[in-house]
Amino acid sequence: MSNALSLARTDAPGLLSPASRAALPFVAPALLLMGLVILVPALYVLWLSFHSSTFGVSPTFVGWDNYAKILQDPYFWRSLVNTAVIVLVVVHAELLLGLAMATLFAGGLPGRKVLIACVLAPYAVSEVGAIVMWRTLFDPDTGPVMRALAALGLPPLEWAVTPSHGLVMVALLSVWLHLPFTFVILYAARLAIPIDVYEAALIDGASPWQTFRRVTLPLLAPAILVAMLFRYIFAFRLFSEVWLLTGGGPARSTEVVAVYLYLEAFRYNNFGAATATGWLMVLSSLVLAGFYLRRLYRGMFAGLER
Amino acid sequence: MKTRAPLVAAARALAVAVVLLWSLGPIAMIVFAAFTPERDIFASGRSLLAWRPTFEHFIGLWTRWGDFFTALRNSLVITVGATLFAVAVSTLAGYGYSRWRSVFLARSAFALIALRLLPPIVTTLPLFPIVNALGLNDTHAVLIILYAAFFVSLGTMVMRTFIDQIPRELDEAAHVDGAGPWQVLRRVILPLSAQGMVAVAIFVIVYAWNEFLFAFIFTTRKAKTMSLVMSEMIGSLDGVEWGVLFAATTVQLLPVLVFVVLCQRQLIEGLTAGATKG
Repeated sequence: MSNALSLARTDAPGLLSPASRAALPFVAPALLLMGLVILVPALYVLWLSFHSSTFGVSPTFVGWDNYAKILQDPYFWRSLVNTAVIVLVVVHAELLLGLAMATLFAGGLPGRKVLIACVLAPYAVSEVGAIVMWRTLFDPDTGPVMRALAALGLPPLEWAVTPSHGLVMVALLSVWLHLPFTFVILYAARLAIPIDVYEAALIDGASPWQTFRRVTLPLLAPAILVAMLFRYIFAFRLFSEVWLLTGGGPARSTEVVAVYLYLEAFRYNNFGAATATGWLMVLSSLVLAGFYLRRLYRGMFAGLER
Repeated sequence: MKTRAPLVAAARALAVAVVLLWSLGPIAMIVFAAFTPERDIFASGRSLLAWRPTFEHFIGLWTRWGDFFTALRNSLVITVGATLFAVAVSTLAGYGYSRWRSVFLARSAFALIALRLLPPIVTTLPLFPIVNALGLNDTHAVLIILYAAFFVSLGTMVMRTFIDQIPRELDEAAHVDGAGPWQVLRRVILPLSAQGMVAVAIFVIVYAWNEFLFAFIFTTRKAKTMSLVMSEMIGSLDGVEWGVLFAATTVQLLPVLVFVVLCQRQLIEGLTAGATKG
Protein backbone atom coordinates (compact mmCIF):
# COMPACT_ATOMS: atom_id res chain seq x y z
CA MET A 1 0.00 0.00 0.00
CA SER A 2 1.29 3.43 -0.87
CA ASN A 3 0.35 5.04 2.41
CA ALA A 4 1.46 2.14 4.59
CA LEU A 5 4.46 4.02 5.96
CA SER A 6 2.51 7.08 6.99
CA LEU A 7 -0.11 4.85 8.60
CA ALA A 8 2.61 3.03 10.49
CA ARG A 9 4.03 6.24 11.89
CA THR A 10 0.76 7.40 13.36
CA ASP A 11 0.42 4.06 15.13
CA ALA A 12 1.84 5.52 18.32
CA PRO A 13 1.15 3.82 21.66
CA GLY A 14 -2.38 4.52 22.85
CA LEU A 15 -3.33 5.98 19.52
CA LEU A 16 -4.54 3.79 16.69
CA SER A 17 -4.02 4.75 13.08
CA PRO A 18 -7.13 5.41 10.97
CA ALA A 19 -6.73 2.02 9.30
CA SER A 20 -6.51 0.27 12.67
CA ARG A 21 -9.51 2.15 13.94
CA ALA A 22 -11.56 1.29 10.85
CA ALA A 23 -10.69 -2.39 11.17
CA LEU A 24 -11.09 -2.59 14.94
CA PRO A 25 -14.83 -3.38 15.07
CA PHE A 26 -14.22 -6.32 12.76
CA VAL A 27 -11.16 -7.82 14.42
CA ALA A 28 -12.14 -7.04 18.01
CA PRO A 29 -14.43 -10.06 18.58
CA ALA A 30 -11.68 -12.48 17.51
CA LEU A 31 -9.06 -10.73 19.62
CA LEU A 32 -11.35 -10.57 22.65
CA LEU A 33 -12.35 -14.21 22.38
CA MET A 34 -8.81 -15.47 22.10
CA GLY A 35 -7.54 -13.01 24.65
CA LEU A 36 -10.05 -14.03 27.29
CA VAL A 37 -10.02 -17.76 26.63
CA ILE A 38 -6.34 -18.34 25.84
CA LEU A 39 -4.03 -15.38 26.57
CA VAL A 40 -5.32 -14.34 29.99
CA PRO A 41 -5.51 -17.92 31.32
CA ALA A 42 -2.01 -18.65 30.00
CA LEU A 43 -0.60 -15.58 31.76
CA TYR A 44 -2.54 -16.46 34.89
CA VAL A 45 -0.94 -19.93 34.82
CA LEU A 46 2.45 -18.23 34.67
CA TRP A 47 1.57 -16.19 37.76
CA LEU A 48 0.14 -19.24 39.52
CA SER A 49 3.24 -21.27 38.79
CA PHE A 50 5.17 -19.03 41.19
CA HIS A 51 2.54 -19.43 43.88
CA SER A 52 1.34 -22.16 46.13
CA SER A 53 -2.41 -22.59 45.81
CA THR A 54 -5.23 -25.03 45.72
CA PHE A 55 -8.78 -24.45 44.58
CA GLY A 56 -10.39 -21.97 46.95
CA VAL A 57 -7.31 -21.06 49.01
CA SER A 58 -5.63 -17.70 48.44
CA PRO A 59 -2.21 -18.18 46.85
CA THR A 60 1.14 -17.36 48.49
CA PHE A 61 4.34 -16.57 46.61
CA VAL A 62 6.80 -19.47 46.57
CA GLY A 63 9.29 -18.45 43.85
CA TRP A 64 10.72 -21.32 41.85
CA ASP A 65 9.46 -24.01 44.28
CA ASN A 66 6.91 -25.48 41.91
CA TYR A 67 9.49 -25.77 39.17
CA ALA A 68 12.02 -27.30 41.53
CA LYS A 69 9.41 -29.78 42.66
CA ILE A 70 8.56 -31.10 39.21
CA LEU A 71 12.18 -31.12 38.09
CA GLN A 72 12.90 -33.45 41.02
CA ASP A 73 9.91 -35.63 40.27
CA PRO A 74 10.93 -38.82 38.39
CA TYR A 75 7.37 -39.11 37.03
CA PHE A 76 7.73 -35.73 35.38
CA TRP A 77 10.95 -36.81 33.69
CA ARG A 78 9.41 -40.08 32.64
CA SER A 79 6.49 -38.23 31.06
CA LEU A 80 8.85 -35.82 29.33
CA VAL A 81 10.97 -38.61 27.87
CA ASN A 82 7.86 -40.52 26.76
CA THR A 83 6.50 -37.40 25.07
CA ALA A 84 9.79 -36.61 23.33
CA VAL A 85 10.13 -40.15 21.99
CA ILE A 86 6.54 -40.29 20.77
CA VAL A 87 6.72 -36.86 19.14
CA LEU A 88 9.97 -37.64 17.34
CA VAL A 89 8.79 -41.04 16.12
CA VAL A 90 5.29 -39.94 15.16
CA VAL A 91 6.20 -36.73 13.33
CA HIS A 92 9.03 -38.24 11.33
CA ALA A 93 7.06 -41.35 10.45
CA GLU A 94 4.26 -39.09 9.24
CA LEU A 95 6.66 -37.03 7.14
CA LEU A 96 8.15 -40.11 5.47
CA LEU A 97 4.76 -41.69 4.80
CA GLY A 98 3.22 -38.38 3.73
CA LEU A 99 6.09 -37.70 1.35
CA ALA A 100 5.87 -41.18 -0.15
CA MET A 101 2.11 -40.84 -0.58
CA ALA A 102 2.32 -37.35 -2.06
CA THR A 103 4.85 -38.60 -4.60
CA LEU A 104 2.73 -41.65 -5.40
CA PHE A 105 -0.44 -39.60 -5.86
CA ALA A 106 1.19 -36.79 -7.81
CA GLY A 107 2.45 -39.37 -10.34
CA GLY A 108 -1.10 -39.61 -11.64
CA LEU A 109 -3.43 -42.37 -10.56
CA PRO A 110 -6.82 -43.38 -11.90
CA GLY A 111 -9.67 -42.28 -9.64
CA ARG A 112 -7.44 -39.89 -7.72
CA LYS A 113 -10.33 -37.96 -6.19
CA VAL A 114 -11.82 -41.10 -4.66
CA LEU A 115 -8.42 -42.25 -3.45
CA ILE A 116 -7.75 -38.93 -1.74
CA ALA A 117 -11.17 -39.09 -0.07
CA CYS A 118 -10.15 -42.49 1.31
CA VAL A 119 -6.81 -41.17 2.56
CA LEU A 120 -8.58 -38.26 4.29
CA ALA A 121 -11.04 -40.58 6.06
CA PRO A 122 -9.10 -40.88 9.35
CA TYR A 123 -9.34 -37.09 9.68
CA ALA A 124 -13.05 -37.57 10.40
CA VAL A 125 -12.45 -40.11 13.17
CA SER A 126 -12.50 -38.96 16.80
CA GLU A 127 -9.71 -39.88 19.18
CA VAL A 128 -12.13 -42.06 21.09
CA GLY A 129 -13.27 -43.73 17.87
CA ALA A 130 -9.67 -44.39 16.87
CA ILE A 131 -9.03 -45.98 20.26
CA VAL A 132 -11.98 -48.31 19.70
CA MET A 133 -10.62 -49.27 16.28
CA TRP A 134 -7.02 -49.85 17.27
CA ARG A 135 -7.87 -51.65 20.48
CA THR A 136 -10.00 -54.02 18.46
CA LEU A 137 -7.28 -54.54 15.86
CA PHE A 138 -4.75 -55.28 18.59
CA ASP A 139 -6.98 -57.16 20.98
CA PRO A 140 -4.77 -59.80 22.69
CA ASP A 141 -7.21 -62.65 22.01
CA THR A 142 -9.22 -61.71 18.98
CA GLY A 143 -7.51 -58.80 17.21
CA PRO A 144 -6.87 -59.41 13.50
CA VAL A 145 -3.40 -57.85 13.68
CA MET A 146 -2.48 -59.99 16.67
CA ARG A 147 -3.62 -63.08 14.78
CA ALA A 148 -1.57 -62.02 11.78
CA LEU A 149 1.49 -61.47 13.99
CA ALA A 150 1.02 -64.91 15.52
CA ALA A 151 0.58 -66.50 12.09
CA LEU A 152 3.86 -64.94 10.99
CA GLY A 153 5.54 -66.25 14.12
CA LEU A 154 6.09 -62.73 15.46
CA PRO A 155 5.72 -61.80 19.14
CA PRO A 156 2.44 -60.07 20.09
CA LEU A 157 2.21 -56.38 21.01
CA GLU A 158 1.34 -56.45 24.70
CA TRP A 159 0.20 -52.85 24.87
CA ALA A 160 -1.87 -53.29 28.03
CA VAL A 161 0.97 -54.87 30.01
CA THR A 162 4.34 -53.70 28.72
CA PRO A 163 4.84 -49.93 28.91
CA SER A 164 7.00 -49.65 25.78
CA HIS A 165 4.40 -51.61 23.80
CA GLY A 166 1.70 -49.26 25.07
CA LEU A 167 3.69 -46.33 23.71
CA VAL A 168 4.11 -48.09 20.36
CA MET A 169 0.31 -48.38 20.19
CA VAL A 170 -0.08 -44.69 21.00
CA ALA A 171 2.42 -43.80 18.28
CA LEU A 172 0.73 -46.00 15.68
CA LEU A 173 -2.64 -44.52 16.50
CA SER A 174 -1.35 -40.95 16.37
CA VAL A 175 0.28 -41.49 12.99
CA TRP A 176 -2.96 -42.95 11.69
CA LEU A 177 -5.07 -40.06 12.97
CA HIS A 178 -2.81 -37.26 11.78
CA LEU A 179 -1.31 -38.56 8.55
CA PRO A 180 -4.12 -36.90 6.51
CA PHE A 181 -2.94 -33.46 7.67
CA THR A 182 0.72 -34.07 6.79
CA PHE A 183 -0.27 -35.67 3.50
CA VAL A 184 -2.50 -32.77 2.44
CA ILE A 185 0.17 -30.15 3.15
CA LEU A 186 2.86 -32.07 1.25
CA TYR A 187 0.55 -33.11 -1.57
CA ALA A 188 -0.67 -29.55 -2.19
CA ALA A 189 2.94 -28.34 -2.25
CA ARG A 190 3.93 -31.16 -4.59
CA LEU A 191 1.14 -30.28 -7.02
CA ALA A 192 2.30 -26.67 -6.97
CA ILE A 193 5.66 -27.64 -8.48
CA PRO A 194 5.43 -26.69 -12.19
CA ILE A 195 5.50 -29.61 -14.61
CA ASP A 196 8.26 -28.05 -16.77
CA VAL A 197 10.72 -28.57 -13.94
CA TYR A 198 10.16 -32.30 -14.28
CA GLU A 199 10.28 -32.14 -18.07
CA ALA A 200 13.65 -30.43 -17.82
CA ALA A 201 14.89 -33.13 -15.46
CA LEU A 202 13.66 -35.79 -17.89
CA ILE A 203 15.47 -34.16 -20.80
CA ASP A 204 18.65 -34.04 -18.75
CA GLY A 205 18.28 -37.78 -18.33
CA ALA A 206 17.74 -37.80 -14.58
CA SER A 207 16.61 -41.08 -13.04
CA PRO A 208 13.37 -41.06 -11.00
CA TRP A 209 15.39 -41.19 -7.78
CA GLN A 210 17.66 -38.33 -8.89
CA THR A 211 14.58 -36.30 -9.81
CA PHE A 212 13.14 -36.91 -6.39
CA ARG A 213 16.40 -36.09 -4.57
CA ARG A 214 17.41 -33.06 -6.63
CA VAL A 215 14.08 -31.59 -7.71
CA THR A 216 11.15 -32.68 -5.58
CA LEU A 217 12.80 -32.70 -2.17
CA PRO A 218 14.43 -29.23 -2.31
CA LEU A 219 11.26 -27.66 -3.73
CA LEU A 220 9.17 -29.28 -1.04
CA ALA A 221 11.47 -28.18 1.79
CA PRO A 222 9.35 -25.20 2.93
CA ALA A 223 6.19 -27.32 3.05
CA ILE A 224 8.03 -30.10 4.86
CA LEU A 225 9.23 -27.59 7.43
CA VAL A 226 5.74 -26.17 7.98
CA ALA A 227 4.15 -29.60 8.29
CA MET A 228 6.90 -30.71 10.66
CA LEU A 229 6.65 -27.69 12.97
CA PHE A 230 2.87 -27.87 13.12
CA ARG A 231 2.95 -31.54 13.92
CA TYR A 232 5.70 -31.09 16.54
CA ILE A 233 3.57 -28.50 18.30
CA PHE A 234 0.33 -30.47 18.08
CA ALA A 235 1.87 -33.86 18.87
CA PHE A 236 3.42 -32.36 21.99
CA ARG A 237 -0.04 -31.81 23.54
CA LEU A 238 -0.93 -35.49 23.12
CA PHE A 239 -3.45 -36.39 25.80
CA SER A 240 -6.56 -38.33 24.80
CA GLU A 241 -4.84 -41.22 23.03
CA VAL A 242 -2.71 -42.02 26.06
CA TRP A 243 -5.42 -41.29 28.59
CA LEU A 244 -7.94 -43.56 26.90
CA LEU A 245 -5.53 -46.34 26.00
CA THR A 246 -3.37 -46.78 29.08
CA GLY A 247 -4.48 -44.02 31.47
CA GLY A 248 -0.75 -43.45 31.97
CA GLY A 249 -0.30 -46.85 33.56
CA PRO A 250 0.82 -49.39 34.48
CA ALA A 251 2.36 -47.64 37.49
CA ARG A 252 2.53 -44.18 35.79
CA SER A 253 5.01 -45.57 33.25
CA THR A 254 3.28 -44.42 30.05
CA GLU A 255 2.35 -40.89 31.10
CA VAL A 256 3.00 -38.04 28.70
CA VAL A 257 3.39 -34.43 29.82
CA ALA A 258 -0.29 -33.50 29.32
CA VAL A 259 -1.42 -36.58 31.25
CA TYR A 260 1.05 -35.77 34.03
CA LEU A 261 -0.35 -32.24 34.20
CA TYR A 262 -3.93 -33.51 34.31
CA LEU A 263 -3.23 -36.03 37.07
CA GLU A 264 -1.28 -33.56 39.21
CA ALA A 265 -4.04 -30.96 38.91
CA PHE A 266 -7.20 -32.99 39.07
CA ARG A 267 -6.26 -36.18 40.90
CA TYR A 268 -3.28 -35.57 43.20
CA ASN A 269 -4.42 -32.07 44.09
CA ASN A 270 -0.98 -30.76 43.27
CA PHE A 271 -1.95 -27.53 41.59
CA GLY A 272 1.47 -25.90 41.84
CA ALA A 273 3.18 -28.73 39.99
CA ALA A 274 0.45 -28.66 37.35
CA THR A 275 0.83 -24.93 36.70
CA ALA A 276 4.62 -25.22 36.47
CA THR A 277 4.21 -28.12 34.03
CA GLY A 278 1.63 -26.07 32.12
CA TRP A 279 3.96 -23.14 31.71
CA LEU A 280 6.80 -25.41 30.61
CA MET A 281 4.42 -26.76 27.95
CA VAL A 282 3.64 -23.22 26.83
CA LEU A 283 7.33 -22.36 26.64
CA SER A 284 8.27 -25.44 24.66
CA SER A 285 5.37 -24.85 22.27
CA LEU A 286 6.55 -21.30 21.74
CA VAL A 287 10.16 -22.38 21.19
CA LEU A 288 9.00 -24.90 18.59
CA ALA A 289 6.71 -22.31 17.09
CA GLY A 290 9.50 -19.73 17.10
CA PHE A 291 11.01 -20.85 13.80
CA TYR A 292 7.66 -20.79 12.08
CA LEU A 293 6.52 -17.55 13.68
CA ARG A 294 9.73 -15.72 12.85
CA ARG A 295 9.34 -16.39 9.16
CA LEU A 296 5.71 -15.39 9.33
CA TYR A 297 6.56 -12.20 11.26
CA ARG A 298 8.92 -11.04 8.53
CA GLY A 299 6.29 -11.68 5.88
CA MET A 300 3.63 -9.79 7.79
CA PHE A 301 5.63 -6.72 8.55
CA ALA A 302 7.18 -6.43 5.11
CA GLY A 303 6.51 -2.87 3.95
CA LEU A 304 5.02 -1.80 7.27
CA GLU A 305 8.12 -1.01 9.29
CA ARG A 306 11.15 0.88 8.18
CA MET B 1 5.47 -40.04 -20.34
CA LYS B 2 7.49 -43.05 -21.42
CA THR B 3 5.91 -46.48 -21.27
CA ARG B 4 6.37 -47.83 -17.77
CA ALA B 5 7.66 -51.24 -17.03
CA PRO B 6 4.86 -53.52 -15.80
CA LEU B 7 6.91 -54.04 -12.67
CA VAL B 8 6.65 -50.35 -11.75
CA ALA B 9 2.91 -50.38 -12.41
CA ALA B 10 2.51 -53.41 -10.17
CA ALA B 11 4.53 -51.77 -7.40
CA ARG B 12 2.36 -48.66 -7.62
CA ALA B 13 -0.82 -50.70 -7.48
CA LEU B 14 0.49 -52.53 -4.45
CA ALA B 15 1.42 -49.24 -2.77
CA VAL B 16 -2.07 -47.87 -3.40
CA ALA B 17 -3.59 -51.04 -1.96
CA VAL B 18 -1.49 -50.69 1.18
CA VAL B 19 -2.46 -47.03 1.55
CA LEU B 20 -6.14 -47.90 1.21
CA LEU B 21 -5.92 -50.77 3.67
CA TRP B 22 -4.15 -48.53 6.18
CA SER B 23 -6.60 -45.64 5.83
CA LEU B 24 -9.87 -47.51 5.53
CA GLY B 25 -9.17 -50.87 7.16
CA PRO B 26 -9.74 -49.83 10.80
CA ILE B 27 -12.86 -47.82 9.87
CA ALA B 28 -14.38 -50.51 7.67
CA MET B 29 -13.75 -53.15 10.31
CA ILE B 30 -15.67 -51.23 13.00
CA VAL B 31 -18.58 -50.22 10.78
CA PHE B 32 -18.84 -53.80 9.52
CA ALA B 33 -18.68 -55.20 13.06
CA ALA B 34 -21.41 -52.80 14.19
CA PHE B 35 -23.80 -54.66 11.87
CA THR B 36 -22.54 -58.14 12.77
CA PRO B 37 -24.23 -60.37 15.41
CA GLU B 38 -22.28 -60.37 18.67
CA ARG B 39 -21.23 -64.04 18.47
CA ASP B 40 -19.76 -63.55 14.96
CA ILE B 41 -17.81 -60.35 15.63
CA PHE B 42 -14.78 -62.02 17.06
CA ALA B 43 -15.05 -65.27 15.12
CA SER B 44 -12.34 -65.62 12.51
CA GLY B 45 -12.78 -65.34 8.74
CA ARG B 46 -15.06 -68.13 7.72
CA SER B 47 -18.35 -66.69 8.98
CA LEU B 48 -17.88 -63.80 6.54
CA LEU B 49 -19.68 -65.75 3.83
CA ALA B 50 -22.76 -66.20 5.97
CA TRP B 51 -22.87 -62.53 7.02
CA ARG B 52 -26.34 -61.12 7.54
CA PRO B 53 -26.60 -57.53 8.72
CA THR B 54 -28.19 -57.00 12.11
CA PHE B 55 -29.31 -53.91 13.97
CA GLU B 56 -29.14 -55.54 17.40
CA HIS B 57 -26.22 -53.37 18.55
CA PHE B 58 -27.99 -50.16 17.60
CA ILE B 59 -31.08 -51.39 19.46
CA GLY B 60 -28.87 -52.28 22.42
CA LEU B 61 -27.33 -48.81 22.29
CA TRP B 62 -30.82 -47.31 22.33
CA THR B 63 -32.13 -49.42 25.22
CA ARG B 64 -29.07 -49.72 27.45
CA TRP B 65 -27.17 -46.51 26.75
CA GLY B 66 -29.95 -43.93 26.47
CA ASP B 67 -27.25 -41.55 27.67
CA PHE B 68 -25.61 -41.83 24.29
CA PHE B 69 -28.54 -40.27 22.48
CA THR B 70 -28.75 -37.40 24.96
CA ALA B 71 -25.05 -36.96 24.24
CA LEU B 72 -25.72 -37.08 20.51
CA ARG B 73 -28.12 -34.18 20.91
CA ASN B 74 -25.57 -32.30 23.06
CA SER B 75 -22.87 -32.86 20.46
CA LEU B 76 -25.21 -31.56 17.78
CA VAL B 77 -26.12 -28.41 19.72
CA ILE B 78 -22.50 -27.73 20.67
CA THR B 79 -21.20 -28.37 17.16
CA VAL B 80 -23.78 -26.10 15.53
CA GLY B 81 -23.24 -23.40 18.17
CA ALA B 82 -19.45 -23.48 17.97
CA THR B 83 -19.50 -23.53 14.17
CA LEU B 84 -21.83 -20.53 13.83
CA PHE B 85 -19.88 -18.62 16.47
CA ALA B 86 -16.47 -19.38 15.00
CA VAL B 87 -17.52 -18.74 11.40
CA ALA B 88 -19.12 -15.40 12.32
CA VAL B 89 -16.14 -14.16 14.33
CA SER B 90 -13.63 -15.46 11.75
CA THR B 91 -15.45 -13.85 8.84
CA LEU B 92 -15.51 -10.47 10.57
CA ALA B 93 -11.83 -10.68 11.46
CA GLY B 94 -10.85 -12.08 8.06
CA TYR B 95 -12.53 -9.06 6.46
CA GLY B 96 -10.75 -6.67 8.83
CA TYR B 97 -7.33 -8.20 8.19
CA SER B 98 -7.89 -8.44 4.46
CA ARG B 99 -8.99 -4.87 3.83
CA TRP B 100 -6.88 -2.76 6.21
CA ARG B 101 -3.15 -2.67 6.91
CA SER B 102 -1.32 -1.26 9.92
CA VAL B 103 1.33 -2.23 12.39
CA PHE B 104 -1.33 -2.80 15.05
CA LEU B 105 -3.24 -5.13 12.75
CA ALA B 106 -0.11 -7.04 11.73
CA ARG B 107 0.90 -7.43 15.38
CA SER B 108 -2.54 -8.57 16.47
CA ALA B 109 -2.78 -11.05 13.59
CA PHE B 110 0.59 -12.39 14.66
CA ALA B 111 -0.68 -12.71 18.23
CA LEU B 112 -3.72 -14.63 17.00
CA ILE B 113 -1.49 -17.12 15.23
CA ALA B 114 0.91 -17.48 18.14
CA LEU B 115 -1.90 -17.99 20.67
CA ARG B 116 -3.40 -20.77 18.62
CA LEU B 117 -0.21 -22.74 19.14
CA LEU B 118 -0.58 -22.82 22.94
CA PRO B 119 -1.65 -26.19 24.35
CA PRO B 120 -5.37 -26.24 25.27
CA ILE B 121 -4.84 -28.27 28.44
CA VAL B 122 -2.90 -25.39 30.00
CA THR B 123 -5.87 -23.07 29.78
CA THR B 124 -8.06 -25.57 31.61
CA LEU B 125 -6.15 -24.98 34.87
CA PRO B 126 -7.35 -21.42 35.50
CA LEU B 127 -10.56 -21.82 33.48
CA PHE B 128 -11.81 -24.71 35.59
CA PRO B 129 -12.40 -22.66 38.78
CA ILE B 130 -13.64 -19.66 36.77
CA VAL B 131 -16.14 -21.76 34.83
CA ASN B 132 -17.34 -23.23 38.11
CA ALA B 133 -17.68 -19.81 39.72
CA LEU B 134 -19.72 -18.56 36.76
CA GLY B 135 -21.97 -21.61 36.98
CA LEU B 136 -21.04 -22.55 33.42
CA ASN B 137 -19.79 -25.99 34.35
CA ASP B 138 -21.58 -28.77 32.48
CA THR B 139 -23.30 -26.42 30.02
CA HIS B 140 -23.29 -26.28 26.24
CA ALA B 141 -22.10 -22.68 26.39
CA VAL B 142 -18.69 -23.42 27.91
CA LEU B 143 -17.79 -25.93 25.18
CA ILE B 144 -19.16 -23.69 22.43
CA ILE B 145 -16.95 -20.81 23.61
CA LEU B 146 -13.85 -22.99 24.05
CA TYR B 147 -14.19 -24.73 20.70
CA ALA B 148 -14.81 -21.46 18.89
CA ALA B 149 -11.87 -19.78 20.64
CA PHE B 150 -9.43 -22.48 19.55
CA PHE B 151 -10.51 -22.27 15.90
CA VAL B 152 -10.98 -18.55 15.44
CA SER B 153 -7.30 -18.10 14.66
CA LEU B 154 -7.19 -20.68 11.87
CA GLY B 155 -10.63 -19.51 10.74
CA THR B 156 -9.51 -15.88 10.52
CA MET B 157 -6.46 -16.75 8.44
CA VAL B 158 -8.49 -18.95 6.09
CA MET B 159 -11.14 -16.25 5.68
CA ARG B 160 -8.51 -13.60 5.07
CA THR B 161 -7.00 -15.75 2.31
CA PHE B 162 -10.41 -16.18 0.69
CA ILE B 163 -11.43 -12.52 1.05
CA ASP B 164 -8.07 -11.40 -0.35
CA GLN B 165 -9.15 -13.03 -3.60
CA ILE B 166 -12.24 -10.82 -3.89
CA PRO B 167 -11.19 -7.83 -6.03
CA ARG B 168 -11.05 -4.56 -4.15
CA GLU B 169 -12.65 -2.83 -7.14
CA LEU B 170 -15.94 -4.36 -6.00
CA ASP B 171 -15.52 -2.76 -2.56
CA GLU B 172 -14.73 0.55 -4.16
CA ALA B 173 -17.72 0.39 -6.49
CA ALA B 174 -20.00 -0.18 -3.51
CA HIS B 175 -18.18 2.55 -1.66
CA VAL B 176 -18.86 5.01 -4.47
CA ASP B 177 -22.53 4.08 -4.17
CA GLY B 178 -22.35 5.28 -0.59
CA ALA B 179 -21.88 1.95 1.20
CA GLY B 180 -19.94 1.94 4.49
CA PRO B 181 -17.63 -0.90 5.58
CA TRP B 182 -20.51 -2.90 7.09
CA GLN B 183 -22.59 -2.64 3.95
CA VAL B 184 -19.59 -3.63 1.83
CA LEU B 185 -19.22 -6.68 4.04
CA ARG B 186 -22.87 -7.59 3.72
CA ARG B 187 -23.41 -6.83 0.05
CA VAL B 188 -20.03 -7.62 -1.52
CA ILE B 189 -17.94 -9.83 0.73
CA LEU B 190 -20.46 -12.21 2.31
CA PRO B 191 -22.07 -13.39 -0.93
CA LEU B 192 -18.63 -14.12 -2.41
CA SER B 193 -16.95 -15.81 0.54
CA ALA B 194 -19.23 -18.82 1.02
CA GLN B 195 -16.41 -21.17 -0.02
CA GLY B 196 -14.20 -19.85 2.73
CA MET B 197 -16.95 -20.15 5.31
CA VAL B 198 -17.48 -23.77 4.32
CA ALA B 199 -13.74 -24.40 4.74
CA VAL B 200 -13.78 -22.86 8.23
CA ALA B 201 -16.99 -24.70 9.14
CA ILE B 202 -15.46 -28.08 8.24
CA PHE B 203 -12.63 -27.64 10.73
CA VAL B 204 -14.89 -26.54 13.55
CA ILE B 205 -17.47 -29.21 12.85
CA VAL B 206 -14.95 -32.05 12.82
CA TYR B 207 -13.23 -30.69 15.92
CA ALA B 208 -16.32 -29.90 18.00
CA TRP B 209 -18.06 -33.14 17.08
CA ASN B 210 -15.09 -35.29 18.04
CA GLU B 211 -13.30 -33.37 20.80
CA PHE B 212 -12.51 -35.18 24.04
CA LEU B 213 -10.28 -33.20 26.41
CA PHE B 214 -12.46 -30.14 27.09
CA ALA B 215 -15.62 -32.24 27.24
CA PHE B 216 -13.88 -34.55 29.70
CA ILE B 217 -12.87 -31.69 31.99
CA PHE B 218 -15.86 -29.36 31.73
CA THR B 219 -18.88 -31.64 31.45
CA THR B 220 -20.10 -34.22 33.94
CA ARG B 221 -23.72 -35.10 33.28
CA LYS B 222 -26.12 -32.81 31.43
CA ALA B 223 -23.86 -31.54 28.65
CA LYS B 224 -21.83 -34.71 28.03
CA THR B 225 -20.84 -35.24 24.41
CA MET B 226 -20.68 -38.48 22.44
CA SER B 227 -16.92 -38.83 22.83
CA LEU B 228 -17.33 -38.71 26.59
CA VAL B 229 -20.07 -41.35 26.72
CA MET B 230 -18.00 -43.56 24.42
CA SER B 231 -15.03 -43.23 26.74
CA GLU B 232 -17.31 -44.33 29.58
CA MET B 233 -18.33 -47.32 27.51
CA ILE B 234 -14.67 -48.23 26.95
CA GLY B 235 -13.96 -47.95 30.67
CA SER B 236 -17.13 -49.78 31.70
CA LEU B 237 -16.41 -51.79 34.83
CA ASP B 238 -18.77 -54.67 34.06
CA GLY B 239 -17.01 -55.50 30.81
CA VAL B 240 -17.10 -53.65 27.51
CA GLU B 241 -20.08 -54.40 25.28
CA TRP B 242 -18.09 -54.33 22.08
CA GLY B 243 -20.98 -54.58 19.63
CA VAL B 244 -22.76 -51.63 21.23
CA LEU B 245 -19.53 -49.64 21.36
CA PHE B 246 -18.99 -50.31 17.63
CA ALA B 247 -22.53 -49.10 16.96
CA ALA B 248 -21.84 -45.90 18.93
CA THR B 249 -18.56 -45.37 17.06
CA THR B 250 -20.41 -45.80 13.76
CA VAL B 251 -23.11 -43.29 14.73
CA GLN B 252 -20.46 -40.76 15.70
CA LEU B 253 -18.28 -41.35 12.66
CA LEU B 254 -20.57 -41.63 9.64
CA PRO B 255 -22.02 -38.08 9.51
CA VAL B 256 -18.61 -36.36 9.68
CA LEU B 257 -17.06 -38.91 7.35
CA VAL B 258 -19.67 -38.21 4.67
CA PHE B 259 -19.19 -34.50 5.25
CA VAL B 260 -15.38 -34.65 4.97
CA VAL B 261 -15.62 -36.68 1.75
CA LEU B 262 -18.16 -34.27 0.23
CA CYS B 263 -16.19 -31.15 1.17
CA GLN B 264 -12.80 -32.60 0.28
CA ARG B 265 -11.78 -29.66 -1.89
CA GLN B 266 -12.54 -26.99 0.74
CA LEU B 267 -10.84 -29.09 3.40
CA ILE B 268 -7.62 -29.30 1.38
CA GLU B 269 -7.71 -25.59 0.48
CA GLY B 270 -8.40 -24.63 4.09
CA LEU B 271 -5.66 -26.84 5.50
CA THR B 272 -3.03 -25.48 3.13
CA ALA B 273 -4.14 -21.86 3.56
CA GLY B 274 -4.19 -22.25 7.34
CA ALA B 275 -0.75 -23.82 7.55
CA THR B 276 1.19 -21.80 5.01
CA LYS B 277 -0.36 -18.39 5.54
CA GLY B 278 -0.90 -18.53 9.27
